[in-house]
Amino acid sequence: MRRIPWYIWLSVLGVTSAMIGAHWDISWHRSIGRDTFWTPPHIAMQLCGVIAAITCGYLILWTTFAQSRLRASASADKTSVNVLGFHGPLGAFICAWGGFTMITSAPFDDWWHNAYGLDVKILSPPHIAAAIGIVAVEIGAMTLIAASMNRTAGRVRHRLEWLFLYVNSMILVALLAAVIELTNRSFLHTAICYRVICILTPIVLAIASRATGLRWAATTVGAIYTAFILGLLWILPLFPAQPKLGPVMHEVKQFIPADFPLLVLMPALVLDLLWPRMTAWSKWKQAAVSGVSFFGVLVPVEWLFADFLQSPAARNAFFGSIYFSYFQSPQSYGATYRFVPYETAAQFRVGMAIALACAIVSAWLGMGAGDWLKRVRR
Amino acid sequence: MYGVRSLLLAGVFAASAMAHVGSPDVFFQGKAGPYPILVAIRPPEVIPGIARIEVRTLSPDVREIQLTPTPMTGIAATHPPVADIAQRSHDDPQLFEGSLWLMAAGSWEVHIRAIGKNGAGELPVPVPAVALKIRPMQRGVSYFLIGMMVFLTVGLVAIVGAAVESNRRIAMACASVVLVLALWGGSVWWGEDDAVSKQKLFRPLGIQLALSTPGQMDLRITDPGWLALRKLDDLVPDHGHLMHLFLVRWPEMDRVHHLHPDQTATGFFATSLPSLRGGTYRIYGDIVHESGFAETAVGEAMLPEVHGHAVSGDDADGPSLPRDGFDMVWLRDKTKPIAATQLNLFSFEIVGPDGNPVGDLEPYMGMGGHAEFIKTDGSVFAHVHPTGSVAMASVGVASPAAMMAMHETKPGPVVSFPYGVPTAGTYRIFVQMKRAGKVETGGFQFTASELTTGVK
Repeated sequence: MRRIPWYIWLSVLGVTSAMIGAHWDISWHRSIGRDTFWTPPHIAMQLCGVIAAITCGYLILWTTFAQSRLRASASADKTSVNVLGFHGPLGAFICAWGGFTMITSAPFDDWWHNAYGLDVKILSPPHIAAAIGIVAVEIGAMTLIAASMNRTAGRVRHRLEWLFLYVNSMILVALLAAVIELTNRSFLHTAICYRVICILTPIVLAIASRATGLRWAATTVGAIYTAFILGLLWILPLFPAQPKLGPVMHEVKQFIPADFPLLVLMPALVLDLLWPRMTAWSKWKQAAVSGVSFFGVLVPVEWLFADFLQSPAARNAFFGSIYFSYFQSPQSYGATYRFVPYETAAQFRVGMAIALACAIVSAWLGMGAGDWLKRVRR
Repeated sequence: MYGVRSLLLAGVFAASAMAHVGSPDVFFQGKAGPYPILVAIRPPEVIPGIARIEVRTLSPDVREIQLTPTPMTGIAATHPPVADIAQRSHDDPQLFEGSLWLMAAGSWEVHIRAIGKNGAGELPVPVPAVALKIRPMQRGVSYFLIGMMVFLTVGLVAIVGAAVESNRRIAMACASVVLVLALWGGSVWWGEDDAVSKQKLFRPLGIQLALSTPGQMDLRITDPGWLALRKLDDLVPDHGHLMHLFLVRWPEMDRVHHLHPDQTATGFFATSLPSLRGGTYRIYGDIVHESGFAETAVGEAMLPEVHGHAVSGDDADGPSLPRDGFDMVWLRDKTKPIAATQLNLFSFEIVGPDGNPVGDLEPYMGMGGHAEFIKTDGSVFAHVHPTGSVAMASVGVASPAAMMAMHETKPGPVVSFPYGVPTAGTYRIFVQMKRAGKVETGGFQFTASELTTGVK
């Protein structure tokens, strides 16, 4: 392979479009409020599904029909799989599946608004269907890249590894965006917050490291996630926005960005330092140490940083503790810089123990998925 | 005389009340500064949702209409969102149309700002926002979603089968189990969200009537449970009364009693017992909360023949006209049919024995008159003023000055009520106007047709 295939570039474009659109849409809901199916952020998100469905649909049909003669020779059939009689790269099928899931979520969401009211929360069944579609497109893109990467060497492989880490970090952005209601500044002293982070993050970091074999893969993914969220934090407020519906609890004059990024970069760095020393261990032992390390680094770092984010020192545009959604009550925990007393002390202890277990299982799953991606060639 | 010791709630019969029963649209007439305007607001059936608004200016001088909805009370009342510009109708230059985003249940007001040759002026219009129903999924959408669900499920299982290098059938079986569990989990979640939404659907207050105390009518408001924000200890007077009670003899609809019981304790009211014909009565109790949210408690009771006191003060019963050569006349253009949802001006006057309208109308509780629109199938009850279907106490919460400006001191001789019936069918109107210190009640009937053209 001399160059990166066009469909990989398009899938990366779709993934980027979806992530910018998703965060832009969340900011839109926090700043302007009013939306339609055709707002720019929605178009950016749906573009991901359309690109995935058309690109990968074309790739599958082309591989199935135009390449049918080529496939007849055993050597030419090594880059495609057979799904329900169609042929194509495995990643293309996953991407297309994600694209169709996203497209399906659109009328579902539209009906949901008519039945239950306009968007009032992120976590609703049609939104999760859309999120699953986006993540599937991202996984498909990652699989497409991995298959190409595993069939290539040299400079092209190196570039594919970077694309892989980029898409991997976008998956982390997507997963953590879906749970921002549980990971915002005022939830950073709750077990539910660490539970969702421990479920979603180690798996992504482990995939990055195992699939690429790069020394600083997890750190790179953590860094791209951090840079992406910081970029939103610093760029979105530069654009004016005003609420177009009420109740307006806070005056808003610019786009409201996401909170300061979660400090997953720190445990990612520690994991990159530890993993080369564990190569001879069993997978479960590696997962146990990885999960404990992730949890053990994340919790104290994020816990103390949360105290800082609630302090007057963080109330500036750099750390972003000055931004409030137009609908956020002045008496809310966020607006009064308090932590949500989400659990009792006993529930908190149990919740943190579950979070630790989740981190271990998540790391184990990530290692398995990463090893599989390292082998995938179709 | 009062052989029945306790007479009895037969049941709450209305599916939706708020201010009025089965009549969610808001009709309002007032002045935005120098410009008289007529307003129709069609609230959404789901909250958060989008209301439609039509503003008809009675002056050709209006250039622009701006619309800003805010909650009536609380901190959000002082932080208006960006105003919307209503679009001028292509067919009628004095009609402006727009939409309003109501994102929370409760008591809202729409600030209507008219800008024109004579400067700018504003009129606040109270709007209650409540979720009334959960719309079922259209058949086409459900078929599409079921088809896609099957397609995506089969597709994903097949993809898993293609992805694994060995034990393909086991992998596909595991994927099927995981997918079925995921779909089941999604279904449970959907059901939970649906249940929460159903809990938020508006449930009208009930009202029970008892004649247990000699010479007295006792009433008790019952709350079937709705949002926590609804309380019964926060009522504010409307036209000087905490409750406007209407008893309508059913199904004849030949008698209406408009009474004003006093509150004896939270949720409890009492008034002296008027004379009543025996029979079943539908009970409507209009109240307004301190948030400006107006609603109608509904009930039904079987009452015996009662020889009570003669009504006086603001209390009224009837129809009392025609009497002694006086009559109440509906100034209706019979060539113009009345269509459902269409804003109409229902105009009435009292004529004397000489056939001419009387010139001695007095304000009745600050208004030129009060009218009750009741559908013969019992699905609609609306208490309307010359200012429209909004309770004046709600206007007072939004703007005390606006409420004072709407009080009439010298009404008539023609008194008009802006209103649009919600559905086609036969309606009874009881109109009450005051002259010579006595409230006169007239009774009318009409049939509304389905609206076949655009709402104008």
